Amino acid sequence: MSKQSKEFWRWREYRHTVPEMDWHDAKIVTAGVDIGSVGSKSVIMLDGKLHAYAAIRTGGVSEETAIRVLNWALDETGLQTKNVHCIVGTGYGRVNVPFAKRTITEIACHARGAHYIYGPTVRTVLDIGGQDCKAIRCDEKGKVISFLMNDKCAAGTGRGLEVFADLIRVPIAELGKASLNVEKEPAPVSNTCVIFAKAESVALLRQGWEKEKVAAAYHLAMVNRIIDLLTKVGVEKDFVVTGGVANNIGIISRLEKNLGIKPLEPNVDPILAGAMGAALFAKALYEKQIGLR
Amino acid sequence: MVKAFGKFREWIDNRHEYAKALKERTGNKVVGYFCTYVPEEILYAANVFPVRILGSHEPPTVTEPYIFAMFCHLCRDCLAQGLKGRFDYLDGIVEGQSCLHLRQAFNAWRLHIPIDFAHYIYVPHGIQSPHAIPYLTQELAKFREALEDWTGKKMTNEDLDRGIRVMNRNRELMRRVYEYRKLDNPKITGLEAMEMVLSSQMADKEEHSNLLEKLLQELPSRQLNRDPGVRLMIIGSEDDDRVFMKNVEDIGATFVVDEHCTGSRYIWDDVGAHEDRLLAIASRYVQRVPCPSKDWPEFNRINHAVKLAQDYKVQGALVVQNKFCDPHGIEIPPLKEALKKVGVQTYPLEFDVTVPWGQFRTRVEAFLETLTGLEELF
Repeated sequence: MSKQSKEFWRWREYRHTVPEMDWHDAKIVTAGVDIGSVGSKSVIMLDGKLHAYAAIRTGGVSEETAIRVLNWALDETGLQTKNVHCIVGTGYGRVNVPFAKRTITEIACHARGAHYIYGPTVRTVLDIGGQDCKAIRCDEKGKVISFLMNDKCAAGTGRGLEVFADLIRVPIAELGKASLNVEKEPAPVSNTCVIFAKAESVALLRQGWEKEKVAAAYHLAMVNRIIDLLTKVGVEKDFVVTGGVANNIGIISRLEKNLGIKPLEPNVDPILAGAMGAALFAKALYEKQIGLR
Repeated sequence: MVKAFGKFREWIDNRHEYAKALKERTGNKVVGYFCTYVPEEILYAANVFPVRILGSHEPPTVTEPYIFAMFCHLCRDCLAQGLKGRFDYLDGIVEGQSCLHLRQAFNAWRLHIPIDFAHYIYVPHGIQSPHAIPYLTQELAKFREALEDWTGKKMTNEDLDRGIRVMNRNRELMRRVYEYRKLDNPKITGLEAMEMVLSSQMADKEEHSNLLEKLLQELPSRQLNRDPGVRLMIIGSEDDDRVFMKNVEDIGATFVVDEHCTGSRYIWDDVGAHEDRLLAIASRYVQRVPCPSKDWPEFNRINHAVKLAQDYKVQGALVVQNKFCDPHGIEIPPLKEALKKVGVQTYPLEFDVTVPWGQFRTRVEAFLETLTGLEELF
């Protein structure tokens, strides 16, 4: 690929099967399919335990994306769709997930998934997705108590970071780290609009700023916007971050510094939290269906 | 059965054709008003037909030279209707002072759209002052004189009594319809209630009331074949976003009551009896459920909203903020607190000319889930 055509925004699509688990031993096989605005994720659970997952870029047709990401998660597990007892759809494209028994919002699913990943001490979940950002308060069961979402613009979201990665020609996976490579934190750029932020960043580059410094200004702007949202809903410990942007160290470390609260560290990719929550809801739904609850 | 709701919708959808036909049929003048602080009693007394000027929810393209872009979408959308000539049948416009945004819509209309009659009623902001009623009574006397000069006809006490009767009857009938929203399975949806009140601001009140009488006969036996779901309240300023109402009620909820000037706030209070008819009318407009632009230092509107939430057994409230509407924005924090105290959760939504339903759907669904929806899955 030539340097000109390199897509710096493109994050890695992947799948994984947790070894030493056999679906034949499981009583209940469920799946969660999270069709986000930028990324789509699918999780397969055996009796409520994580078994396999996949994450891909969302395509133009949500139905096709849903089938593709579910099939990819099922690959190498020996499972077929017909072996899955119950599927729950979530995310922006949730109504377009074929085979789904029910749809549940990504807000409820992220809280439940965060509870699964981080444990019952979680009280505040920040989900930074591709196109929106949600601050969620939940109880010890992972049930949503209250939440707020950002308004309209993708400033403060994953898509904004993708645009920025392309602008300064740094691969998205290295962007956060690069933004920390500054001696002193610069003033933030505008945080109300991705396009304004991009225009300001272009101006800074023209002034001769190092791209790491511009990245720092961009990341700080995002974090300020996110903290505004978090402050409105109130932050109670334990605090965790989910969604694709949870993997960006430039965002996470600045959140910790400026909020004064350290987010818990995940043991699995937190981009999967929504799909995990959906798979857990699917288990509860199936249990209800067969009279187990 | 209950064809009334179809008629209400028809009147809203064909508001201009309706007004033109009425004008043609009766020969009466037609006046447009912006805010519900305009006492329609006096217009009916003068045989002038009042219609409320509302927007069309199309992105505005013509108002930029006349109105600041960071004024609310309602004032811009209203003015756009005038600039596009959709209210070309109006003989006059009237505004009862509420906020600066609507005042600018009124003023730009007066200056840039040919109109025979324009009157601004200085409805006081200090409605909690003991001087408010005598002050407004004087302002209404000026309004009466202006109308008399314009129509060339003196208004008698009998005329004013007729105007008061027409308005009180219409409001009372609509409040009786609202009673059916208190039932465990309400007999009307929030969308239908909104269309009822909205259409009353566009149709002849007597014709509207006659239809309400028929509706009230039929309502006791009406069955809505739908699961009412979560009992919601919608709170905010002007709201005629019928698409939003329908969309929310299609995903497991019913709006059982509202606090809007296109809803309960318009119909809640009547004009009492007094020898001085203008004083009686002024008392109603000073003491009515207030717009937040006047609701200070006591937050009487909030107390009213809390009572509505309790009377209609509301489970959750959507608090709609029309973008840039400062008066309503100011009351949101105490409103949320007051509702929380009586166990009613709120969720904020910001409305603009158009509403991004995809985003709003996720929020509303998640709000419904937090209220009741997912208990059995934990």
